Amino acid sequence: MSTNTIAAIGTALSNSGISIIRISGKDSLNIINKIFKTKSNILPNSIVYGKIYDNDVHLDNVLVSYFKAPKSFTGEDVCEINCHGGVQITKEILELVLKKGAVLASPGEFSKRAFLNGKMDLSQAEAVINLINSKSKTASRIATKQLDGELSNKIRLLREDLIELLAHIEVSIDYPEYDYEEIKIDNVSVLLNNKANDIMKIINTYDQGRYIKDGINVAILGKPNVGKSSLLNALAKYEKAIVTNVPGTTRDIVEETICIGNIVLNIFDTAGIRDTDDVVEKIGVEKSIKILDEVDLVIYIFNAEEKISDTDFEMLSKIQNKGIKVIAAINKMDKANKSIFNTFLNELKRYDINEAINMSIIKNEGIDDLKNTIENIFFNQDLDFQQELIITSSRHKDLLVKSINYLNDAKKEIENGNPIDIISIYVKKATSTLGEIIGCDVNIDIVNKIFEKFCLGK
Amino acid sequence: MEKQDYVVGEYDVVVIGAGHAGCEAALASARLGKKTAAFVINLDTLANMPCNPSIGGTSKGHLVREIDALGGEMAKNADKTFIQSKMLNKSKGPAVHSLRVQSDRRMYHIEMKKTMENQENLDVYQAEIVKIITKDRQVVGVKTKIGATFLTKTIIVATGTYLKGKVIIGEVSYESGPDGVFPANDLSQSLLDIGVELRRFKTGTPARINIRNMDLSKMEIQYGDEKIVPFSFDNEGNLDIINKKQVNCYLTYTNKKTHEIIMNNLDRSPIYSGKIHGIGPRYCPSIEDKVVRFNDKERHQLFIEPLGEKTSEMYIQGMSSSLPEEVQIQMYKTVAGLENAKLMRPAYAIEYDCIDSTNLKLSLEYKGIEGLFFAGQVNGSSGYEEAAAQGIIAGINASRKIDGLEPFVLDRSEAYIGVLIDDLVTKGTNEPYRMMTSRSEYRLMLRQDNADLRLTQKGYELGLISHERYLKFLEKKQKIENEIKRLKNTKVKPIEYTNELLESLNSSKIKSGTSLAELLKRSELNYENLKPLDIDRKELPDSVKEEAEIEIKYEGYIKLQLEQIEEFKKLENKKLSSEINYEDIKGLSLEARQKLNKQKPLSVGQASRISGVSPADISVLLIYLSQNNIK
Repeated sequence: MSTNTIAAIGTALSNSGISIIRISGKDSLNIINKIFKTKSNILPNSIVYGKIYDNDVHLDNVLVSYFKAPKSFTGEDVCEINCHGGVQITKEILELVLKKGAVLASPGEFSKRAFLNGKMDLSQAEAVINLINSKSKTASRIATKQLDGELSNKIRLLREDLIELLAHIEVSIDYPEYDYEEIKIDNVSVLLNNKANDIMKIINTYDQGRYIKDGINVAILGKPNVGKSSLLNALAKYEKAIVTNVPGTTRDIVEETICIGNIVLNIFDTAGIRDTDDVVEKIGVEKSIKILDEVDLVIYIFNAEEKISDTDFEMLSKIQNKGIKVIAAINKMDKANKSIFNTFLNELKRYDINEAINMSIIKNEGIDDLKNTIENIFFNQDLDFQQELIITSSRHKDLLVKSINYLNDAKKEIENGNPIDIISIYVKKATSTLGEIIGCDVNIDIVNKIFEKFCLGK
Repeated sequence: MEKQDYVVGEYDVVVIGAGHAGCEAALASARLGKKTAAFVINLDTLANMPCNPSIGGTSKGHLVREIDALGGEMAKNADKTFIQSKMLNKSKGPAVHSLRVQSDRRMYHIEMKKTMENQENLDVYQAEIVKIITKDRQVVGVKTKIGATFLTKTIIVATGTYLKGKVIIGEVSYESGPDGVFPANDLSQSLLDIGVELRRFKTGTPARINIRNMDLSKMEIQYGDEKIVPFSFDNEGNLDIINKKQVNCYLTYTNKKTHEIIMNNLDRSPIYSGKIHGIGPRYCPSIEDKVVRFNDKERHQLFIEPLGEKTSEMYIQGMSSSLPEEVQIQMYKTVAGLENAKLMRPAYAIEYDCIDSTNLKLSLEYKGIEGLFFAGQVNGSSGYEEAAAQGIIAGINASRKIDGLEPFVLDRSEAYIGVLIDDLVTKGTNEPYRMMTSRSEYRLMLRQDNADLRLTQKGYELGLISHERYLKFLEKKQKIENEIKRLKNTKVKPIEYTNELLESLNSSKIKSGTSLAELLKRSELNYENLKPLDIDRKELPDSVKEEAEIEIKYEGYIKLQLEQIEEFKKLENKKLSSEINYEDIKGLSLEARQKLNKQKPLSVGQASRISGVSPADISVLLIYLSQNNIK
């Protein structure tokens, strides 16, 4: 049994109202006592109000709840700190907890402990599933109750239509002599198309969900001395910006996490932009390209006084090949002729640049523009985050993508003129893949639908 | 006077009931060398068809061929006694082609009885079994109504709809088995006494009408197929079967008037008045059910099927009912062609005792009572074919139990029989269970045409397939493999002749040498229309040609299903010991713990199909297993 005490942030890392830091293990209370000052007694299963101190520095006013083993989520002593929800403050408190002896929890570790201590909460099953890395269909199915109700409902509606379609197909197979209305293959194509589009819409929310939850991964690229480190510094100093650099709490390759207003930017370390400002040269184009696999956005800086070089063009085409969004920042515009901007635009025309911005980083000009541009690119204005369904689990996304692929396969079979029972294989796979998200058995659903819809029998 | 108890005989296997399940069970165990006795309340109802006079149909036809490949009798008996044959779904893909025959009901009985009577190791008795005798939770014998005791090592209960059978027609109801045969009233109590849980199901059948009183000119004729395919693989190419003269069936419809009469008399229907308590199947609703549930439908189809060649009785498929006879008479008379109908036998509903099939093991043995097997409608299924499929498996497993061998279990990827039994035993059923192709996950693999390729090897190893038939099977298999190889290796040149022919078949031209197999994959091309391009083609049996064509044409899909099957097998191969006490696994939900402890699944795969066991529970089980392996 594990003996160390683990800690992690239990809520999404964003500027929400409240964040929770969870600590589990026999030292939980010890650690709390070292950093938490309160007028009340900390009793099991109670919440107390007090202040978090890092030595003498008052960090935040918080609520601490204490669950004594075995009556806790993990079955161990558990303390939870409810702090104010800023990214910065949450990370600072976690850092403090780690400094006082806790170890950062690895993914799924709380659930794992819960299971090992016979405290397995079914809502945590998915974490455990990831933990054991089971690829089997059943094992990776997810319990309905664990899910966000909205996603379940949406998937259910999608499945309902597909199951109805399947019932039509299946009834024609299992009851070939009955005079039900024969299904028209054209209608099937239309329906499959519609469903594929609906699923696509949900998939598209995945990235938005991730941007909100985890932030936008950004690489700042450009030739030496174009102003990469200046931009980083300018962003960091931007009004209300919060810069964190907590080892181990974010990915190693993230140099800085900067929070501007509602946007969290994870600026990727392209071999220490601060020190050398010579990224492409130093680590080479090849290595930069690896970083490109991870990022959502490249801010490519040009010097308005210099011509675009071959290296720039090479990088830009690599970026384009990866389909990453690009903002071209034309820096040092204060020193250049205004018409230069149009020259740049012309030269960059053949690349898929999302936006070009007129900047003078040193004079702090264009930073607002950059921020607004990022916001426009990544957060679709039409999307109301309170209302619309947003998916955040990569497993859900993968299943949705898989089901679209099956629907496309089904369409292909229709085009190839294959019989209906072959088409049905793929529609069924698409439906059962959707069902994996909410844990339904497609065969039973089809049979039920057949009897509900069709008049059959002796 | 007190009746005298006496021992009449000693057997390895006793089969209670000789319907479609009982016959297959008794024949299987006798053929496996076990001394077997089969009991039937009335010998003249052995292998009776109290409902529709037909064998096969979608997915049921698959079952019949699987039974045949395992060495069962149903296919052979159907081949001997059919009067019309039809391959259904021919316009669809090969996976769902389904063979169905109209049978001569009386001849079917006579032929099956003959087979049973002549079977070595098998004795057939007319007697009602009233008691199952057990000792230390192990069966030891049965007792008949008149006091005879038969000692036995195993028992197969195949009582169909006879257990406390009750026939209901309108306001009238009486104790009866199907077709006016005595019900088995005492056995239920004996089963309860030894701890078997019972429940009550319901089914029904339409009226039989004399063809003499029908106006067939008002109906559509339904012909049989021109090219007859025998049911049994043993009869492939048998000319007596292929050239058999067939009879016709007819199609007519209900109408507004029919529906009006039904609606006006609904209060006299025992289902709507609450007189029937048993749960009926959704897929064979009575006509009153159909009219109520689908009230926007202006007419319902009725298929008129002959009961045999030497009878005028016709079965009215589509119009089962439990309305009073006088209402039935009015109702049937509204139908085009039935205006002068006389009901030789009225439609009726029947209620009967059956067991909860989740109390069975996959071997069909009852959990907790050694040597007690169940098969057929008493397990909550419906249909002759479903019954026969369970019968042969129960017969095999009773025999293997005696020999101390592992049970014979087919899984969901191997056979419809596997799907049927797994559905019944693992998922359970709340209504009489009917086989459907949509219940199978691996439909493309489980075709009726390849049932022999899937199962003959197993039948042979079990000891139910003769050496002679096995050699014949191996030869066929070899021929198929050779033909597939040949089609893959034979290239067609892109010469003018070739491309002209392809164009005439609405197929695109070829630019380079292309194998016949490659061409065969095009949906517009098939084995027959490619013949002009296939100069070296030798004459082969139809079944070989068909198999080679399907294997090539659907290669991609078959591969996909094979991958799925591999995934499926992973969880099936994660075995769960019956020793596990699921109460000890704290991570499981309460419901899962109870269900798992009750059902004791053999594998994680089986556990995952139990209702109430969630995917999260399965994860917990997987972790539990991996932790135990570490220890």
